[in-house]
Amino acid sequence: MIQSVNPEPAAVRRNSGKDHELAEKIKKEVQAVPAIYDVAVIKGKREVLVAYKVKHMQRFHMKRIEKEIKEKLEKKYPKETFIVSSDFKIFIEVLELKKRMKDKDYSEKDSEERLQKIIQFKKELT
Amino acid sequence: MGKKKMTPEQEQYKKLEQKHELKRPVLKNCLKAFLVGGTICLIGQAVSYFYMYFFHFTEQTAGNPTVATMIFFSMLLTGFGVYDHIGQFAGAGSAVPITGFGNSVISAAIEHRTEGFVLGVGGNMFKLAGSVILFGVFSAFAVALIKTLLIMWGVL
Repeated sequence: MIQSVNPEPAAVRRNSGKDHELAEKIKKEVQAVPAIYDVAVIKGKREVLVAYKVKHMQRFHMKRIEKEIKEKLEKKYPKETFIVSSDFKIFIEVLELKKRMKDKDYSEKDSEERLQKIIQFKKELT
Repeated sequence: MGKKKMTPEQEQYKKLEQKHELKRPVLKNCLKAFLVGGTICLIGQAVSYFYMYFFHFTEQTAGNPTVATMIFFSMLLTGFGVYDHIGQFAGAGSAVPITGFGNSVISAAIEHRTEGFVLGVGGNMFKLAGSVILFGVFSAFAVALIKTLLIMWGVL
């Protein structure tokens, strides 16, 4: 919960070096923000999911931080769609998806489906 | 109080009273309330993380089941007679979190059980907590109405 996991950035398309590179770049970009720690990035087929934890004393500014990161990323990479979230559940799910993706039998289609499910979490409000 | 002129007897009595009255240990009470209330909130936080780890709830949506679970816990504690002792020890620390609300509903329900289900339990359960619910619902209605009107007029 509190300690840093620092997961590697990943991409749903396994053999696309471009996607991996992009995910890595985005991770570095987001990590530069001082108010947050522990960034997880997953590049899907269409979207890029960015999950992070906010430093405790900065949690009052969570909304502002999210907006800033989203705007920064969208300005830098106008072609991509970003889903930015500080929600802990989304962070857990990203770690779980990464664990599954390590398995060779877990197909790209499955991981894309699971990613879509995580993205649905972001939209849920009640 | 104190506006009217007191007779000499009353003043004398006031002095006597002040000599014998125990001082309220405000600081100690605050500390107790802080610790016990904090413990209740810690349990609540643990429950909310439980819902995040083992069920499909996000930080946003875990609040509702957490509140329900905390009320369930306070129901059990009230029924077994533990919550009264906590309340006596901690005061506001046990009354302000949602568990205090649950306690006020459930203890009233238990107390009036002998008067029957409809007139006893049904009639008295919400005597204390009903105002909380009513006030919450009404103020939510009022705020939503204002917001809807403002959006309709194009202010927001």
